[in-house]
Amino acid sequence: MADSLEAGPPSPRITLPALFVTFLTVSMYGFGGPIVWARRIIVEQRGWLSDGDFADILSFCQFLPGPNVVSISVCLGAKFRGPAGALAALAGFILIPWTVGFTLGTVFLSYAHTALLQGVLRGVAAAAGGLILGTGIRLLRAHRRRPIALVFAALAFAGLAAAKLPLLIVVLGLVPLSIVMAGPAPAR
Amino acid sequence: MNAPGASISLVGHIALLALISFGGVPGVLPDLRNFVVTTNGWLTDQEFANCFAIVQAIPGPNMILMMSFIGWKVGGLPTAVAAALVTFGPSCAVAYAAFHYWERFRDTIWQSRIRRGLTPVIIGLVTAGGYAMARTVDAGWIGVGVTVGAGGLLLGSRINPLWLLGAGAVLGGLGLV
Repeated sequence: MADSLEAGPPSPRITLPALFVTFLTVSMYGFGGPIVWARRIIVEQRGWLSDGDFADILSFCQFLPGPNVVSISVCLGAKFRGPAGALAALAGFILIPWTVGFTLGTVFLSYAHTALLQGVLRGVAAAAGGLILGTGIRLLRAHRRRPIALVFAALAFAGLAAAKLPLLIVVLGLVPLSIVMAGPAPAR
Repeated sequence: MNAPGASISLVGHIALLALISFGGVPGVLPDLRNFVVTTNGWLTDQEFANCFAIVQAIPGPNMILMMSFIGWKVGGLPTAVAAALVTFGPSCAVAYAAFHYWERFRDTIWQSRIRRGLTPVIIGLVTAGGYAMARTVDAGWIGVGVTVGAGGLLLGSRINPLWLLGAGAVLGGLGLV
């Protein structure tokens, strides 16, 4: 593998129902943060993308407005199967999970003040935070041979988490510099 | 239940916020809180915080659901559905159109360079989001242990993350976190 960021050819076996079911699964598992599940299911279980390609699509979608994982479903659906694929992935991600989540949530909201539910929510948030941290480290492994990439990931993390800078400042301050420092891709 | 004007005003504001939510929906939540709680008084601060906490603990598209719960509190089910549609509809159209061009120029040198520079920064931002979520929990050794344990087991084993979330829920329910 000369460059782990390069795409393999899209598999012809990715059907519209497979897109629907996969993004339905990502969405239904999406406690805490759907990115954890999107990476686990699409990269590890289905093998549709490498970690590097997944991180590329994630960063592209993170840069666009709107809910990121919804954008990821649209982009991956479009990548594999064109407009119909985008619709199948989007429908899978939204229709059933929204209905289930909305029903459950309206019930939960009426008990949101109880000590038991507040405790459960704290415990889930603690675990979900750890899962997102672990997923970030996993995605960074595709860049482990580029020290400059690790430095910029660390700076972005520190800017938001430690220095508590506004998101826009961190993005505008680091992205142009990171692109300049990245240099041209190695010859293949 | 508020007047119909409140629903229209809320849905319009969510549509605007969703279209400028570069970097993800959580970034516009402070603005939404001001609009809903401070300016209009449709929800209390605690109700807004509950909406955010609940969507972390239920399945489904969490930011779309959060908008729906706020819509539901302001104008019932129709407003909840409208709030969901304006959260993802316009941005999906943008994503589809933009991705088309992104893929078309995939092999150009400038795009490869942008990807190599952009991706590490975004990974750092996503990871910081996980840190922020863990920090919403009151600092305590068991809470930190749950976070470190969940992250470590995700990296070091093939355990299904649902078990880790379940363990966090049980410890939290027992009042330990």
